[in-house]
Amino acid sequence: MSDTVIKKGSFSLGVRRDLAWPIGAIVSFLLPAMLVYVAFTAYPVLRTLFNSLHQVLPGRPNVFIGAENYIELFKDEFFWQAVKNTLVWACTAPLLEQFLAILLALALYAKIPGARFFRVVWFTPVLMSFVVVGIIWMWIFNYDWGAVNVILRELGLENWIRSWLGDPSTALPSLIFVTTWMWTGFNMVVLLAALHSLPSEVLEAAELDNCSWMKKLWFVMVPLIRPTILNLIVLSFVGKMKVFDLVWIMTKGGPLWSTETVSTYVYKRAFEWSTFDLGYPCSIASVWFIIVLAGVLLLTFLFRQRGKLEY
Amino acid sequence: MSIFLRKWKHAVLIVVLSVYTAYAAGPLFWVSMMSLRTTTEIAHNPYAFPQKFHVGKFAEAWVNSNYSVYFTNSVKVVLCAVAIVTLIGGMAAHCFARYRFPLRKVLYFTLFSTIIFPPQITIIALFQILVEYGLYNTLTGLTLTYVAFQLPITVYVLESFFARIPSDLYDAARMDGYSEWRIFWKVSMPVALPALSTTVILNTILLWNEFLYAVVLITDETKRTLPLGIQKFMGDQLEDIGMIATGLMIAIIPVVVIYIFFSEKLIQGMTAGAVK
Repeated sequence: MSDTVIKKGSFSLGVRRDLAWPIGAIVSFLLPAMLVYVAFTAYPVLRTLFNSLHQVLPGRPNVFIGAENYIELFKDEFFWQAVKNTLVWACTAPLLEQFLAILLALALYAKIPGARFFRVVWFTPVLMSFVVVGIIWMWIFNYDWGAVNVILRELGLENWIRSWLGDPSTALPSLIFVTTWMWTGFNMVVLLAALHSLPSEVLEAAELDNCSWMKKLWFVMVPLIRPTILNLIVLSFVGKMKVFDLVWIMTKGGPLWSTETVSTYVYKRAFEWSTFDLGYPCSIASVWFIIVLAGVLLLTFLFRQRGKLEY
Repeated sequence: MSIFLRKWKHAVLIVVLSVYTAYAAGPLFWVSMMSLRTTTEIAHNPYAFPQKFHVGKFAEAWVNSNYSVYFTNSVKVVLCAVAIVTLIGGMAAHCFARYRFPLRKVLYFTLFSTIIFPPQITIIALFQILVEYGLYNTLTGLTLTYVAFQLPITVYVLESFFARIPSDLYDAARMDGYSEWRIFWKVSMPVALPALSTTVILNTILLWNEFLYAVVLITDETKRTLPLGIQKFMGDQLEDIGMIATGLMIAIIPVVVIYIFFSEKLIQGMTAGAVK
């Protein structure tokens, strides 16, 4: 009896809070954030979409040209090359990172000595600026004295030696290698946290059932942390779809467009090429914006779907 | 036999982990060594320990290569942006977490969804807008852009924290006749100190390293932030490996110092968005 009274009491308290909305306070709390959001995010997004339908030249009124930019875009082979490179990046790097990160996380989960030290060290690369990372790895890939070629020479693999960033066939894989270096530790830390938060009863039950370590891993632990893995894949996918800094520092999209990404191409068309028209790069950005959103929605949908099917 | 096998497995594991550690930490360690050596020494052998610590190189980069300017600009922009984004993000997060009002969900979702936006969708228009308002090529313009850029993640992290504060605290404050603002300052903010420090550290690191917005919105030599300065220096002094390495270390050291003191906080912050 007294229980219900208390419940009712707290419930009504909750309702009081819910209904009481001091409009003045709410507006003043939200206003600064919303102003910044509207001025520096919402308005620029709308303006980009608007620009994409116009010819935008500095010091001249915008000229409405309808879908012309988009038609040109469709025929632009550099754009398609950039799309291809970016998609290759966005589809391979997340899987690579996850694969390595799971192995490393399991190693640390098995309570090897010095686990805390390893965790802190492995996480470090992600804290560095892309500019710093890019320059360091340009040196590592240097033909004459870079670590990669030095190590290959030491190992006697002379015919593997090449100019990693100067060769169109190895430039993109080299860059993917660098992003993997940066992000694996990050993914590992997240996975480790997920592993540590697994309910111990389930793991103990598996042990009682005489599960081998590998079986326990594959049938119990990995399925349980799957939501985290999928989240990380989406996060990494989005990150790679935006990749700009590293390419800009290391290769500027070259050699022969082999590392051009959509982001670098937008930048080039807007600020480097002397076309001066801002409308066309805006149409690239708009198309890419929609593709990224669609990709994220698709991935989330697919992953949800699989979850439903299996449970 | 099985003990032997276990030991052997153990050895393999240790080797693999050591190799990965060398891969993860090696490049940074190498740069820190090179930053203390002269270019001639490096040209002689890139992979040696410093014979003599040329600490003076840091002073030289600081004074002669404008690193003092870049560093000050970075500090100014990052401090201001982080302070503003923490304040207005905290206010918005408090509002989303503690009041129920019409459009609450819509507004929150609109703000939150920008996390996945590629920066290109705003950057060209931002360039135009800042030019029109006379904020192009100013640190103010860059700071405001950074505030907008980090706002969604800040609100997201803080909102989930504010929402978990027991409402008894708020009820008690209301009974004591606190105004809504006072509640924000005296209840929400102090209780949320752990989450606040997480966002502050996260935003500091991300903005310290930011490059794309800076490269588009800043061209003036005296307004460059550190990443821009390093890129420029790299372009000008392509051959002077030793000096470039010193410049890199100037950008790396603050991050490493923060990491040494707040490694757990920093890891928490960086991974906040990933674990739901």
